[in-house]
Amino acid sequence: MDVLLAILTLFGLYGLTTLGMAVIFAATRVVNLAQGDLIMVGAYTAAVLTGPAFGWRVTLALVASAPLLLLIERLLLRRPLADGLATMLVTWGVGMALRQAAELWFTSTSRSVDAPVGGTVTVLGTPYPAYRLVCGLIAVAVIGLVLLAAYRTDWGLTLRAVADNPAMAALLGTDPRRLRTIAFILGGLLAVLAGALYSPLLAVNPTMGFGLLVPVFFGLLLSRPGALGTAAGAALAIAALSVLLRTWLTDVLAEVFFYLIVVAVAALRSRPWIRRYMSWLTRVRVPARAS
Amino acid sequence: MAHTRSRAGTGILTAAALLVVTGCGGSAISDTGSDSDGPLKIGLIVPLTGPVSSTGKALRNAFELGVEKVNEDGGVNGADVEFVVVDDGGDPATSTQLARRLVQREKVSMLFGTITGDTAEAVTKVADDAKVPFGTAILGDTGQCHPYAWGFGESTRQLLTPTIPALLEKYGKRVAVVGSDYNFPHYYLRVAKEQVKRAGGSVVAEEFSPIGQTDWQPVIKRLKAAKPDVLLAMVVGSDAVSFSQQAKQFGLLSPQLGYDGAPLDSDYYPALNALVNGRTHTVRWTDRLDDPDSRAFVADYRKAYKFKGPMPEVAGNAYFGIQFFLAAAEKAESADGEAINTEIGRLTFDSPLGENTRFAAANHILQADMFQATIKPGGAYEVSRELGRVADTTPMPGCS
Repeated sequence: MDVLLAILTLFGLYGLTTLGMAVIFAATRVVNLAQGDLIMVGAYTAAVLTGPAFGWRVTLALVASAPLLLLIERLLLRRPLADGLATMLVTWGVGMALRQAAELWFTSTSRSVDAPVGGTVTVLGTPYPAYRLVCGLIAVAVIGLVLLAAYRTDWGLTLRAVADNPAMAALLGTDPRRLRTIAFILGGLLAVLAGALYSPLLAVNPTMGFGLLVPVFFGLLLSRPGALGTAAGAALAIAALSVLLRTWLTDVLAEVFFYLIVVAVAALRSRPWIRRYMSWLTRVRVPARAS
Repeated sequence: MAHTRSRAGTGILTAAALLVVTGCGGSAISDTGSDSDGPLKIGLIVPLTGPVSSTGKALRNAFELGVEKVNEDGGVNGADVEFVVVDDGGDPATSTQLARRLVQREKVSMLFGTITGDTAEAVTKVADDAKVPFGTAILGDTGQCHPYAWGFGESTRQLLTPTIPALLEKYGKRVAVVGSDYNFPHYYLRVAKEQVKRAGGSVVAEEFSPIGQTDWQPVIKRLKAAKPDVLLAMVVGSDAVSFSQQAKQFGLLSPQLGYDGAPLDSDYYPALNALVNGRTHTVRWTDRLDDPDSRAFVADYRKAYKFKGPMPEVAGNAYFGIQFFLAAAEKAESADGEAINTEIGRLTFDSPLGENTRFAAANHILQADMFQATIKPGGAYEVSRELGRVADTTPMPGCS
């Protein structure tokens, strides 16, 4: 049970961030390298605004970040969008600017945030810190809502259409620019939410998001572009792999095996016969679902 | 079409992952001195950016005040001392490059600084090759000695010799050790094992985790399962904060558990205050030291840098350490690194770090005083016990 709860908590953090990145990638074909730094923005908002209750701080983090994300998208990401690599570098620059700004305003000394819910709860006989459970559950609920929106709403249909074929989607009347703006804001907000929500578990400092990028990238690497469900699934697999390895092995060995396994899976997936087999699976499933 | 796009997407993702995995090292150089041959010139290498930059900045600030004080008192051999500050970002490859540049291009007579053990090791190699002395101010050693490297922070043995018997007596004999996975915490465990055995206890759990750990649950569970009475934590940087917080949330960090190590350093007090209040911590220097020179330094530092919180120990070590180095340079009557290095080995020096402090020839460890500080609410590291001179003359490979 312990292990399942640990996976839930870690999946919440990885899942929100990976899903956010996947939403942005689906709509814009841009890997948002500032995603980790948006986690930092959320965490600092929760750490600095000590007055309001924790729930309000999380809400404030989201409300304050939305215009910032809009500005970043409108001012910096519109022009170089034709070139994916250039845009990726722009997001890298945005991340650096956010880190430096945080260092300038708050120094690089780590801060901590008190958990709004203290104590432990017993889940099927296993005592577990209450707040870890709460933030894991909230994160999973948000991930579920985003997936629901992606697969059961018009907006989600448009997003998937743009992800699949932007030119065709534009010809059929979708405004890809508007969609990209919304996707960037939504994707960024998921990272901000992850940062604010998980701030009581982490050390809040300007570089805190940087280390979280690696598992998130692996999650994105293992998912299919545009298929948000696979991004959430990949994040779950990454969280489970990390927790299980660290339960069975020492942290140092677990890290080695973690990288080995993820790289091996990524390499195997790109083999032509496995790729073909996976595409057959997808083709068989689509008409079955439609019927 | 879908195949091509997906391959391009994978390419971008792989490039992005590589960029993040390899990190982004940077360096900057800010020159405050001149490159003339006349006056003595020091190269200060510190992380002014990156995860340990707050400690790096404290070291730089104190170093600057230390040099300023020597210059106010007439400089070295009748001339003002100059220095060049460079930012290694906490990256050992950058430290090596910058140290070489300082020695070859800036012609510095001595090197000073660095925070993490790996960057110190990188600079040490350059200092040994170039035959210029290199001083560090951070606590801990890795059991290796180098002819041109000198540390003003307490050695691992000086830190643990008074700490472990006191903790074992107060809390119990079962000790667990947790550390970040790099050379210093591993050596810390080795010394801790010796000391615990000597004090009649046993090490019941040892855990190391890569730096930058987000989730400590598996480690905390294993530590908890070992039922320790005392936990020695040498987890550094932001990990010191996340580990302590999560250990508290999982009920490991209770008032019944003895707790000492890096998280109790004053650097982390602003984040961990409630978790460490009331605990005792072994230090070489604290800003509450009752000594006129120390008090004057603290007042100058707070005024110059508008600093309010508890001052990092590294600041005191750097301030008095650089004065030790410059006293040796004065005695050497030369800006030649080798001559200064010889004098550093011979010098005895009075400062708030102790009377007649000197380096042991067998290990280049500063034979100086230690204090037990009790952490009071608000971050006052009050001296609760003077431990006097804590000797560490254990011979180490490289010097003995």
